[in-house]
Amino acid sequence: MTSFAVARNVLRRIVRDVRTLALIVILPLFFVLLYGNSFSGTYSGLRIAIVNEDNGLASVRTAEYGRITTSVDLGQVFIDSLDPKVFEVEIMNDAESALARVGDGVWAALVFPKSFSHSVVNEAVRIGGGREIQIRGFTATLLPSQPINSPMTVLSIDDSNPLIASAVSEALNTAFAASLETEQPSLTADALLDIQTLHDGRIRMLDFTAPGIIGFAMTLITVMLTAMSVVRERTGGTLTRIMIAPVSTWQVTLGYTLAFSFIAIFQSAELFLASALFFDIRFVGSPGVVALIVLLFAIGLQGIATLISTLSKNEAQAMQFVLFLLIPSIMVSGVFWPLESMPASIRPLSYAIPLTYANSALRKVMLTGHDIASLRFELTVLGAIALGTLVLSVLSMRRQAYRA
Amino acid sequence: MANPLVVRAEDLVKTFGKRTALNHLDLAVKQGQLYGLAGPNGAGKTTLIRTLCGLIRPDHGAAYLLGWQMPSTRVRSQLGYMPQDFAVYDDLSVLQNLEFFGELYGLRRAEVHRRADELLDLVQLSDRRRDRVGSFSGGMRRRVSLAISLLHKPRLVFLDEPTAGVDPKLRRNFWDYFNALADGGVTMVVTTHLVEEALRCHMVGFLMDGSLLTEGTPEGILAQTDAANLDDAFIRLQERGEEDRT
Repeated sequence: MTSFAVARNVLRRIVRDVRTLALIVILPLFFVLLYGNSFSGTYSGLRIAIVNEDNGLASVRTAEYGRITTSVDLGQVFIDSLDPKVFEVEIMNDAESALARVGDGVWAALVFPKSFSHSVVNEAVRIGGGREIQIRGFTATLLPSQPINSPMTVLSIDDSNPLIASAVSEALNTAFAASLETEQPSLTADALLDIQTLHDGRIRMLDFTAPGIIGFAMTLITVMLTAMSVVRERTGGTLTRIMIAPVSTWQVTLGYTLAFSFIAIFQSAELFLASALFFDIRFVGSPGVVALIVLLFAIGLQGIATLISTLSKNEAQAMQFVLFLLIPSIMVSGVFWPLESMPASIRPLSYAIPLTYANSALRKVMLTGHDIASLRFELTVLGAIALGTLVLSVLSMRRQAYRA
Repeated sequence: MANPLVVRAEDLVKTFGKRTALNHLDLAVKQGQLYGLAGPNGAGKTTLIRTLCGLIRPDHGAAYLLGWQMPSTRVRSQLGYMPQDFAVYDDLSVLQNLEFFGELYGLRRAEVHRRADELLDLVQLSDRRRDRVGSFSGGMRRRVSLAISLLHKPRLVFLDEPTAGVDPKLRRNFWDYFNALADGGVTMVVTTHLVEEALRCHMVGFLMDGSLLTEGTPEGILAQTDAANLDDAFIRLQERGEEDRT
């Protein structure tokens, strides 16, 4: 019976604490909704560039009429068969420019040579052998063809994200199959494509996920440590004592930022070194740029943690609020599953999470050696989060001292 | 010339939900005065001190310290505050606690150490200065807290139950020191439950339900309540307050 009394007392205290009770009810639901949505999405918005130089003509030898030329326009048929929900197609005129865009905002580039339609038809006849076909109302018997030495269709894929590279490749193959099925059922896409990957398949899944995992570890440690420390300072009364001294809230907040940013940078250095040493994680970019990303990210995390501590009455509550940041950070920031595969309803949440930008920037530097200029977007967002949360931290710090 | 007012509260009102913690309260404390705030639990003593220090914004009325309306950053360097909770860093040593707070008040390291010698002697922790505060009893932590509050030689000191958990002999030493500080011109506002402590104040205010029920010298309160001692006087005041409430 004593055990029941203890249990009843524990539950009664939780029920009386409305915030904790709400967290207990909401957190599992939040977790399941995020999990379900992040796994169930299909790829969308994959940007690809296409240069269609195909003249659309194919010529075949027939027994009855000799060589005849017909318009099949297979390049356009392929473009039309791309699923608009999956791909954002950018039609370009210059092959060199299109291939150069791969890895720079475009996941793949496809260049149809002038003879694309002819090559496809010739290959189909060669594989399919002679048979009767209907052309312009006449029946003609195709004569077997010989392999021709025309330029292949070039497909260049950015494989810095193995998941997206595989999804792009699969979706393009599906489109090829769909377009060729109409015209030539015996052909496969692979036979017609010269597939090139930007990084020659050197980026392993381990390399691909490492920047995000390092960012997640930073989120976990920095946010927990900061939130707990601030809550402890407040509940212990030392924060009040600090705030009543002749120091400004800015000075106090900056002191916290300095301390926790230093810890975060130290920890991230440890994470990077251990990853490189034990797992040979790919790191081809500048360590200085990574340090800048880490610094901005750490300041932002520290600010968020201070805000979390404002909302929390005690350390247990702070811990639960931290989970509201940690769960989406691991699930919808693109660490494991690309943002392009998230449903539209989840993406706003992805864009609200600092790790989304830190992960994107770290990946660009570590995996593909991007320079600081190409990280303008990510660094601007991380900088804005750092500054914004720093200002809010200052405001919340005084409020916390009043509440203590 | 009469001593100037150092603490002035005008018509302070503060409510928390339905509970009125301060109810149109006025207060005036002169320079060098040792003012005792007495009253039953929940009377509003801590709320009053926190409001005077600028840590709580009143719903109505205003508080002035050293002539400045609170909250004001201008008085902070001259203000000493000892909260009811320990408000010390358990994971630091006594000296490290003093050094940190000394730095916040702009004291040089040598000055902190000089003051630490004096204050740790008062709170009888000289031989424990390098020990972690986390290993101390409640009473010892409170002594560290008091030392921190007085470190920067404030002109005005608010002490919220500074002697709770402190043994009687040391308590007497504390009050000797408070009296000496007040004689030197430091103004002190101290909350207490103990009658013998109230007797050592120049003025005592008796708070109940957020109102200042009465104030005066200890002798004056005895005369007002027609009580044999201050203990009886406080009980009578409390009963009177409860009758008024009903």
